[in-house]
Amino acid sequence: MAARLARAPGISLQHSIRHAAILLVAGRYRDTDRSALCRLHDQLPQPRATAWWGAAPLTDVHDPVTIAEGDDPVPQLRRLDRDLLRGARASEPDWLPDEPPNAWRGKGDHGQGGKGMMGGVPYGRPMAMMGEEMRDGLMLDAMTVTIGPFLRTLPPGLSLELTLQGDVIQQARVATPAYSASGIASEPLLRAARILELLGLPDLARRARISAARGDDDEGLVAAARRRGALLALPADLADVRARLDAALRRGAAPDPGEECLVDRLAGMEWQSALLRVASFDPATLSRIAPAAEPEEGEEEKAA
Amino acid sequence: MGALANLILAMAVGAALVLPLFLCTLRRDGMNGQSQQVPFLGGGSQSAHAWQRFHIRYYPMTLLFIAFEMEMMFMYPWAVVYVETGIKALAEMGMFLSILGVGIIYAWREGVFRWQ
Repeated sequence: MAARLARAPGISLQHSIRHAAILLVAGRYRDTDRSALCRLHDQLPQPRATAWWGAAPLTDVHDPVTIAEGDDPVPQLRRLDRDLLRGARASEPDWLPDEPPNAWRGKGDHGQGGKGMMGGVPYGRPMAMMGEEMRDGLMLDAMTVTIGPFLRTLPPGLSLELTLQGDVIQQARVATPAYSASGIASEPLLRAARILELLGLPDLARRARISAARGDDDEGLVAAARRRGALLALPADLADVRARLDAALRRGAAPDPGEECLVDRLAGMEWQSALLRVASFDPATLSRIAPAAEPEEGEEEKAA
Repeated sequence: MGALANLILAMAVGAALVLPLFLCTLRRDGMNGQSQQVPFLGGGSQSAHAWQRFHIRYYPMTLLFIAFEMEMMFMYPWAVVYVETGIKALAEMGMFLSILGVGIIYAWREGVFRWQ
């Protein structure tokens, strides 16, 4: 759905919610993604607003802006942005309570939340704990983060729990599976656009998105990608990603990745390579190799 | 009089730079809540602080680079006296460089130059 906005002048889809003015919830979302949606909303800088495009607003949201699934959201988004800037519409308050995840104030000798270098929960969060580095066994700090389900560089709905040391992934776990295949014919092009964006080729990605929104075949797209070195930019150990990008640009079938689990492939990879590999799988393959607990259709994007 | 005017001007410029910072702190109601302070992870959350130690793998190579860069510094005074001292200075510098060269060969054997 949100791919249709790629062509709209004056609307730009942002990679980070911190750069956006309006959160556009496009399509249905799972009940399990509500808390992530609330977190995302509260990270929007003020003044802010949310538009629900073919999506049911959360029940406790006051005065929601809803757009029917078949409607064009662009005029409504423009009006919303103008009203926000003029002050005709009040900025939305937080949806989550404003409190740290753990109590920490007043604990420790100086009220800093804990003792020494490792103990306690300063600012409500524990410090990173030591773990064995997988390349040489050094004991270094490992950090666990959950990314997604609404990260633009990942397939929609997919959220991964990653344990990182530096930028090397030590351990990966699928927290929520990607939304199942929407069945639209332009899906390979949207996937190719995600890979191209990760490769730092945003205008080529935009071209792929526009081609996907129009629903026609952009004959020059593969040639343009080749000319710009998009395929050569993928190193030899990502040959499978290269093959899938090539297939996606041609809207063809990609070589079968086999039965291996996605999370097993991610361990030991660096951040950028891992994101490229995850972005390259089509939804059907992804639901097979990244086990899906309760697949549901839908898409999420944010617009400014 | 000129000095006083300069002082007032400097204070005015300083105040113009610093005052906005104070004004910002006055009205940031709801702008620095807990959720505004956590990094953007696409709706995900972190379970620990991002303050952590990890291995800079190019570290030995960096140290070696700095050591040999310092060695180049010793060659500047040597180059000044080289012309008048002649072959003796050349032999001395040759000995110095060859001893350091053994160090490079040792580091090479230990795999310092392999990019990890």
